[in-house]
Amino acid sequence: LLLSVVCFAPQNYPLYIRSVPTENELKFHYTVHTSLDVVDEKISAMGKALVDQRELYLGLLYPTEDYKVYGYVTNSRVKFVMVVDSSNTALRDNEIRSMFRKLHNSYTDIMCNPFYNPGDRIHSRAFDSMVNSMMMQVC
Amino acid sequence: AMEVIWWGRERRKLSSRELFVLTYGALVAQLCKDYEKDEDVNTFLDRMGYGIGVRLIDDFLARSAVKKCRSYSETADMIAQVAFKMYLGVTPSVSCSNTAGNEFSLILDKNPLVDFVEELPAERASLCYCNLLCGVIRGALEMVHLAAEVTFLQDRLKGDAVTEIGITFLRKAEDRKHKRNK
Repeated sequence: LLLSVVCFAPQNYPLYIRSVPTENELKFHYTVHTSLDVVDEKISAMGKALVDQRELYLGLLYPTEDYKVYGYVTNSRVKFVMVVDSSNTALRDNEIRSMFRKLHNSYTDIMCNPFYNPGDRIHSRAFDSMVNSMMMQVC
Repeated sequence: AMEVIWWGRERRKLSSRELFVLTYGALVAQLCKDYEKDEDVNTFLDRMGYGIGVRLIDDFLARSAVKKCRSYSETADMIAQVAFKMYLGVTPSVSCSNTAGNEFSLILDKNPLVDFVEELPAERASLCYCNLLCGVIRGALEMVHLAAEVTFLQDRLKGDAVTEIGITFLRKAEDRKHKRNK
């Protein structure tokens, strides 16, 4: 179950936050925010050579008892974080990678929009529907 | 004054096409920053398009080697089926919209210029994003001695069902041979 998708700017503020509606949405925000530390840690550990697709995908950032958090960083230091329900063991690594790739591709399309200024919050129907379809697919 | 280089020749390569679309987008975005009113941006786009059109027509005529059009209808077909295809890779459908035979509408199913634009920003509701095209057509026609008004009648970016360009030919084409004195 895909619970939450967040996109962070290089300066680490969120460009896009989407969570499955629950009473405790703040919990997701908190989890995702703390995962940023892990992302930064991994990035600095990797050094300067971030060319390979494998290295863009950061993998499981940290598991909590309820959730698993995955991370992905682009060459431009835009970060994507996904929160997945721990009980969903059916999600393979490959599927997570392809979901991040889709996010990355949709993000690139938004960047190509001449009216989008890098650093703005993302308000895009195409992006929303892509995230929607990912959330529904995984359920 | 801004000079725009028409990337027509490199259109064949896909990556140049993206560069072209992004360049056009950057152009419109910059004009939006320079001019507050949508009408001003539209006017400027039209003017720039005109400058392109009066130059592009020679390139078009040289590359397409078409015969002289004998009617407005032929001209409209030429614009849609040959020119649009050559420079933008799309073929709008043409229809004549009045009985006098001088008003035509080109319906664009696909428009590569707006590939990355999802919708107009809220504060730019009356922006004619592709107004450059109207100027191009107008300028090109003028160089072959056809005066025309070209505007966008419908625009998908504004929420209309289709994107439609209207061409109204204003004067009769000078296609009559000079009458010899008897």
